[in-house]
Amino acid sequence: MAASVLLACGLNEQKLPGFVHISEESNVDGSFLISCILGQRLRISNAGTLLICLQHHYQHYFNAGMRLGYNSNIFLGKTLNVIDVLSDMAQQGLDCKWLRSSDELTLTEQLIEDIRTQLANNYANRTSYTILIDNLSILFNLGASKLHVQQFCQSLAALAKEHENLTVITKLSNSDIHQLTDDNVAKLGNVRIQVLRLKSGVFREVDGKLLIERVLDEGSYACEQSRKEVLYKVNDRNVKIFNPGEIGVKV
Amino acid sequence: MLSNLMVTNQKVVLIIDQLNRERIAAKFIDSLLKEQGQGEEVKVLPIGTQLKHVASIETLLGDNNNPKNAINVILPTLADLLCYHKPAHIFQFINRLRRCEHVSRVFLWASPQLLLHADAEYILAGCEYLSELVLRLETDTTLSLLSRKPGGGVSNKRYTCEVSKTEFKVKPLVDAAANAATVTEVKSEEGVKAADPGGTFKIELDEDEMVARNALTLPYERTSDTATEGNIIYTPDADDDFDDEDPDEDLLI
Repeated sequence: MAASVLLACGLNEQKLPGFVHISEESNVDGSFLISCILGQRLRISNAGTLLICLQHHYQHYFNAGMRLGYNSNIFLGKTLNVIDVLSDMAQQGLDCKWLRSSDELTLTEQLIEDIRTQLANNYANRTSYTILIDNLSILFNLGASKLHVQQFCQSLAALAKEHENLTVITKLSNSDIHQLTDDNVAKLGNVRIQVLRLKSGVFREVDGKLLIERVLDEGSYACEQSRKEVLYKVNDRNVKIFNPGEIGVKV
Repeated sequence: MLSNLMVTNQKVVLIIDQLNRERIAAKFIDSLLKEQGQGEEVKVLPIGTQLKHVASIETLLGDNNNPKNAINVILPTLADLLCYHKPAHIFQFINRLRRCEHVSRVFLWASPQLLLHADAEYILAGCEYLSELVLRLETDTTLSLLSRKPGGGVSNKRYTCEVSKTEFKVKPLVDAAANAATVTEVKSEEGVKAADPGGTFKIELDEDEMVARNALTLPYERTSDTATEGNIIYTPDADDDFDDEDPDEDLLI
């Protein structure tokens, strides 16, 4: 269902790079990538996953997973753990810990504390562990400053370095508006996936473009990088991938 | 090689990167030092979340008490520093490093496109002001080098560069243009050398001459290092005749 898109992004392997960042341009939706990656991680036996729901609540990912061919509820509480910020806020209102600063912790500090706790409880029992954060730009809406988001991402990158089999995957929407933050987060990892809209406009057969940049080797004075461009179309139950130029208007 | 131009007597070195090579900043600087045989005396400051602890920065100066082993300090990138510290604190720290006699060189890497601070331009200008050598990586093939000598001389030169993963070769941009002029001149008019239009003197320096010039400490720089003062101490004798009035008063100067 989503194997082709993961293959194109190089995220179909059991061991993923330490830090992967997804930049999502304005007016495009790259949430399908989170659902695809989540499904792929859940299918690996004894691989732990922590999903941090900032843009969509957990139920959304369950529904999306069902369409893509996996049932995330089976793994919930076992290999899948969820920090559902949106649901917490909806259920607890202003008393929610994400909306009030307890112990003088900021929102991002509170979040990283919770991630550390989850990691301490689950990492040792799993062959590998993946932390998925569905949208960093929601943190801005919840009152976090650019600096806080940057520090939060640096803490995540530090966690990925400390733990051998840990992968952190972040997504930032409106990356063209939050350009500085986007670049600063992307530099923390070796893989950056940009979800871009079509420059020529809207097309029925194609939703947008994925630009996958991967640092292959860091030399002393220059980096060896690979860049790959593919077009994608999100259908009801799958995601299709095309090479640029493969699809055209036939007259 | 770039290291010949970068590892000189100048103490504070700023690298302004316009090519988004920040991820290899520490490696880049370390390689420059290793090429000049300075790879052992290097202190790399912590990066990322470790920068939260101010003490780790402050203790750096106290760590190296042996004056014989002057160290090269590679600071975290300016973007990382600004993430955890105030600009005033960063400037103070660079200034302290500059004055510290146990520190032979300080390297700071700044990528303007990654500076999150609202006053990033001013902060970068402040860092440039504090630096004695400013390398600006402009494009994949060109760079500029601004050098401030202790005596007050300033030179700003541009170079063409050839970068591979392990080598960074540079060539003065002026020389390259002059060479091209020479080639065309020779082709058109054999036997006549393409001379500098300003005269017969050779004004430009090649890389080796530049290194030799940077390594030379001029006599007036040597004397300015010593802390001796040039005050004249005069103890008047009892018989000395002092006149409180100005002897030149009548001259109406």
